Amino acid sequence: MDTQGTHRVHLLARMGFLWAALIVVRLLQLQIVQHDKYRTLAQQQQEKIVEMRAPRGTILDRAGQPLAMSLPVDSVCVDPLRIPDLSVAADILGRILGLDSQDLLGKMKFAADGRRGFLWIKRHITADESRRLRDLNLDWVEFRTESMRFYPDKQLAAHVLGGVDFEEKGNAGIEQSLDEDLEGHPGTLRVTSDVKQRGFNSKVDTEPLPGKIVKLTVDSRIQFVAEQELEKAIKTHHVKTGSVVAMDPKTGDVLALANYPTYDPNEPPRHGEDPMARDDLAATTPYEPGSVFKVITIAAALETTHLRLETIIPCGNGVITLFGRTIHDHSRYASLPMEDVLARSSNIGAINIGLKVGDANMYEYMRRFGFGKSTGLPLPGESAGMVRPLKYWQKSSIGSVAMGHEISVTALQLAQACSVIANGGFRVKPRLLRDTAPETPQRVLQPETAITMRRMMEGVVIKPYGTGHRYAHIPGYTSGGKTGTAQIFDHHTHQYTHFYNASFMGFAPVTNPAVVVVVTLNGTVGTAGYGGPTSAPVFREVAAAALRILDVPKDLPDDLPADDNDKGKADENDVAIADLGPSVPLPLVQPNSPDQRLLLGPPAPESPSELAGPMVPNFQGKSVRDVIQESAALGIPVEFAGSGIARAQIPPPGAILPLGERVRIQFGR
Amino acid sequence: MATLATIFDRIFPAKVLEQAAPRIQDEAETCRLRRFPNEDIYFSVKRIDNTRVVRESDPATRGVCWQTIGSCVVAAVLLIGILLPSMYSLLAGYRIEALHQERQRLEIERAALQLDEAKMLSPARLERLAQEQQFVDPLPQKVVYLDGRPEGTLARR
Repeated sequence: MDTQGTHRVHLLARMGFLWAALIVVRLLQLQIVQHDKYRTLAQQQQEKIVEMRAPRGTILDRAGQPLAMSLPVDSVCVDPLRIPDLSVAADILGRILGLDSQDLLGKMKFAADGRRGFLWIKRHITADESRRLRDLNLDWVEFRTESMRFYPDKQLAAHVLGGVDFEEKGNAGIEQSLDEDLEGHPGTLRVTSDVKQRGFNSKVDTEPLPGKIVKLTVDSRIQFVAEQELEKAIKTHHVKTGSVVAMDPKTGDVLALANYPTYDPNEPPRHGEDPMARDDLAATTPYEPGSVFKVITIAAALETTHLRLETIIPCGNGVITLFGRTIHDHSRYASLPMEDVLARSSNIGAINIGLKVGDANMYEYMRRFGFGKSTGLPLPGESAGMVRPLKYWQKSSIGSVAMGHEISVTALQLAQACSVIANGGFRVKPRLLRDTAPETPQRVLQPETAITMRRMMEGVVIKPYGTGHRYAHIPGYTSGGKTGTAQIFDHHTHQYTHFYNASFMGFAPVTNPAVVVVVTLNGTVGTAGYGGPTSAPVFREVAAAALRILDVPKDLPDDLPADDNDKGKADENDVAIADLGPSVPLPLVQPNSPDQRLLLGPPAPESPSELAGPMVPNFQGKSVRDVIQESAALGIPVEFAGSGIARAQIPPPGAILPLGERVRIQFGR
Repeated sequence: MATLATIFDRIFPAKVLEQAAPRIQDEAETCRLRRFPNEDIYFSVKRIDNTRVVRESDPATRGVCWQTIGSCVVAAVLLIGILLPSMYSLLAGYRIEALHQERQRLEIERAALQLDEAKMLSPARLERLAQEQQFVDPLPQKVVYLDGRPEGTLARR
């Protein structure tokens, strides 16, 4: 045996074994001892964290139409330090993004000089801008995906929706009050990618939580009509502000809430913009309601006193002196049935009714109707109005309150109060969100009282001397309401001005009201600025549209003859004179005061004995049997149309029926 | 078989042997090469024709050979079988991620279309179109809602 050869073979074998052992040891070190370290390095290199988009919740209207929605949009940023030529870059970006190239160049130079590696160029660019910029494939341009809020109907329901800031945080309206629910919480996705950054495996680290979808009670069609008609009335009567609230009296659903001026939530606030445009007047700005509040006074009287519709209320021939104050009515009435106190809007009649009710009962019913506390709608800044606590009432306060002064209310509160009468006596909490469970209604009035009030408010519309006659009549539907014309108090001069808050608060149809509408125009002047000619037509249009959209059956024929003999004289009664109470610095009404704006009543009518034919009585509001009996007793031939209660008649009450003619009476249910 | 003789035959072709053979000139010693100088050692070259020699088959060896081949094939199949699913899952992973991105893109596109739809159905636009076409408001009770809901926007008179 060759021992030298064997030795060499053994040596070679040992060297080979050693080499193999070194390899194994190194493998053990890398794969077992330093396993975690290299695994982490590999993860860092291969995995990237991607944010999973969670869009802000969509806001829908009653019918499911989107009113507000969020979409991802690109924002452009650059690394100024990587840009080869700043002036060329500024020129390119300026042309595509519609920016001032020189200004952009200045910003980029400033950033580059300060060694800043990041600069926003433009945020929330359009899809077209994004496509054009991406097509250039510029490596120094980076796109970041952000979310942007869109309001497709622009200013529709702007005050209800509110708006968001640049970070998509709600700053007004529903966007603010429900910001936590609407806000989405993005998730994270861990993506493993190859050397070319193509992902081949992903795992969700945190689940994204999209914002909650909010469905409103607002009907965008009714809202549109309300905004349109409000704007038309504002411009016709040359006033600055106004509001409309439409509500379902049974469920409390707010069908429309419109304010003027308004704004487009898509546009951020600009310098010099009218600040009032973003105020939700209907919810946040209370005002003295004036004569519309007589509804509350009379409702309280029906509940707490022995006064009834036909009870004769003294009206003092147009003058009353109450605790040293003298108040005048526009028209002189010696006395009026209580229903006509409302229809003619007699201030003195209302004061006398209020005196019968008394302070405590009046205060109690004001609170029951919801005044003095907010309605609870999710609208930031909603005002509770102002109801003076009973202990602070002056002796003459009852007179002021009975006419709708010494109290301030919002349009929402008026709508809620009117709903009490419309739905049979229950105070229903208004709601703006469809998903909100309706609260148990609180009974405020007895059903009989509510029905009686409905009839009386219908009289405001159908009676020829009613302050809402001709203006608030809805073709094909019965309607009822109350006008209001309240002087606006100037806090600088501490005096009541010659400007009015002209209101109309009403419902339709009368028998089974489906909608309540409250209209207020702020700053009207003159007799043409009273509630009847200014706000009642808006009520008519909005209520008509709402009834059509809600598919409410008509309860009157469309071809009801119009009353041509009405001259609108009754409008003058509607002004609530705010001149009571030393606690409110009101000017005393002096008979010969130069700024006195109270007018004497109309001249006495002509003697009926000089005209041929009998005088036509008032058949309105009476049943067919009553009309037959009365007309037979008076010997007046009558022509009937329809059934139910007399809604309109020609000739009107008080007119002389020419011999050989008949009185045409339209009945409806 | 690689034996010394065959190697030798390859290295030293028969021609050389033939050249070497005539020196003997002895018929009886045709295979005998000339002797080395001062040596009495003689080499003989005997040409052996092995072309008709057939190696005896060895079943055991053949078996081992086939077993080896089979084992290698099975190992290869197993290896492929083990690696193939992970390869397919890798390809599927690419496809899945591409589909995820496609879904995101489609969701964004759908949201954009919903926005466009909402803009087109805005009451202001519908009112403007209605006025241009001189439409009138339908009377209540004269409208039949195609989708059965009064809240719907599809209706006919």
